[in-house]
Amino acid sequence: MTDPVLALEDAGFAFGDLTILDEESVAVERGELVALVGPNGSGKTTVLELLAGLRAPDSGTVSRPTDAARSTAYLPQSPGFRSGFTVRETLSFYAGLVGGGVDADAVLDRVGLGDAADRRVEALSGGMTRLLGLAQALVGDPPVVVLDEPTSGLDPDVSDSVFDATAALATDDRAVVVSSHDLAAVEARADRIVLVADGAIAFDGPPDGLLAETGADTLRAAFSLAVAGRELDATAAAPAGGDAQ
Amino acid sequence: MSESTGASDAAGPRAAVDRVFVVAERELRTLARNRALLAVAAAFFAVVVGLAGAATGSPGGYVSLTFDLLLPVEVLVPAVAFAFAYRTVQGDGERGELAVFRTYPLTRLEYVLGVFVGRASGVLVVVLASLAVAGVVATTGAEQPVSFFASHSAGDTPVVFVRFALFAAGYALVATVLAVAVSAAVGTARGALGGSVAVLVALAVGLDLALVAAVSGGFVDAGSVAVFAGFSPASAFRGLVFELALAPALATPPVATASPAASGAGLLAWFVLGLGGAALAAWPDTG
Repeated sequence: MTDPVLALEDAGFAFGDLTILDEESVAVERGELVALVGPNGSGKTTVLELLAGLRAPDSGTVSRPTDAARSTAYLPQSPGFRSGFTVRETLSFYAGLVGGGVDADAVLDRVGLGDAADRRVEALSGGMTRLLGLAQALVGDPPVVVLDEPTSGLDPDVSDSVFDATAALATDDRAVVVSSHDLAAVEARADRIVLVADGAIAFDGPPDGLLAETGADTLRAAFSLAVAGRELDATAAAPAGGDAQ
Repeated sequence: MSESTGASDAAGPRAAVDRVFVVAERELRTLARNRALLAVAAAFFAVVVGLAGAATGSPGGYVSLTFDLLLPVEVLVPAVAFAFAYRTVQGDGERGELAVFRTYPLTRLEYVLGVFVGRASGVLVVVLASLAVAGVVATTGAEQPVSFFASHSAGDTPVVFVRFALFAAGYALVATVLAVAVSAAVGTARGALGGSVAVLVALAVGLDLALVAAVSGGFVDAGSVAVFAGFSPASAFRGLVFELALAPALATPPVATASPAASGAGLLAWFVLGLGGAALAAWPDTG
């Protein structure tokens, strides 16, 4: 294993009594596409924000590259852009934040938005808006890209297209961490799965590993078994009358 | 403990200035493409120039014009500033763009400065262009040469009106930075509107009423009113206009009602507090 480009080390974070992470560690290498999965409310977005530097952990450390002008790109769930600007103007604005040398048209071509460069952002479809978000994530050539459910709310074909573009980000020596409920896409494209549940990382390994561990045929079934198994374990471990959480 | 990305301090001062102007250019383009804001600008222009046109031919020249425009400018400049700026940071936050900005080598002070420079540039253009046209209308529209209101050596010269316009510009900058601060402090469009209305009312009448209450309650003695008036941006602007634009032009200057030093310091303090508050509120420092 080479040196990770992104790592959580013994990281803890909680919203009051609700523990999101309890001294957990994760490391991501360049060129990896890591899918962060977990049930609703498990804290996937918070974990991504910790990785992207948008939140500081309560304990432990987060390591990111320090030798890049822009070390970590982030795309929130349901991204938006200021209306009244074209796609090219919007990307050029972001390019201006990292200085010169960014070819906005080339970046748009890379994510498949070259033909929409002159379209105003408010006229983009949901899928095209996500692609613009991916283009924004490439500005400054960051070695780490963190994406929060980039395919949520999209139809299956558009979702596949966006996930393909997401997977392509990892092909040029870049670490990509993406949260998603699209388990079929995750199974087909992710190098690793990190399953977050009940404040812990319940699984960290390749999709095949989760299938083998749960004995399921599909990732969808494995996800349910893994999450349900944790709930059963937690219930059994809880004191009588106690909260299973 | 989190390790800093080092992104924001990776470049030098020149790059930081460049980023401020990248943000400012985006704000200016937004203003230029917003028809509602262009309507606000046109309305302000119409009121100011209309009042100047209505006063054409009346005695008093620039002193009279300054008196005529003082109250409308005092009330309408903050309204224009808030209309131009109250949604800017809040809108970026609502769309998730603030979170995205934080992954760029852009500090929150650079971002807020850029927003302020862009929005304030638009406000200044509207305010100064309106006042300039008003001054020209009042001068050239008169059927006879503008009469002098005073026999003082400074007299009723354009300097009176130029000083008034400069103080209005400073007042507009303070109002704009406060609008940006409100925008940074609230999370929703409704909050931005409510916060803006509250601050506008406080600027227009609230702080003045508080001073009156403080005097009547004995907390401030009457002799100190001139100094305490500087705490309110509107009073500070009014005081600067009276003491440094109008009073020198009058044959018999009235009793001083404001301290220019306190008024200037008050406006500067509001500006610094507004800018600092906006930067702190834009996004949290995660180290």
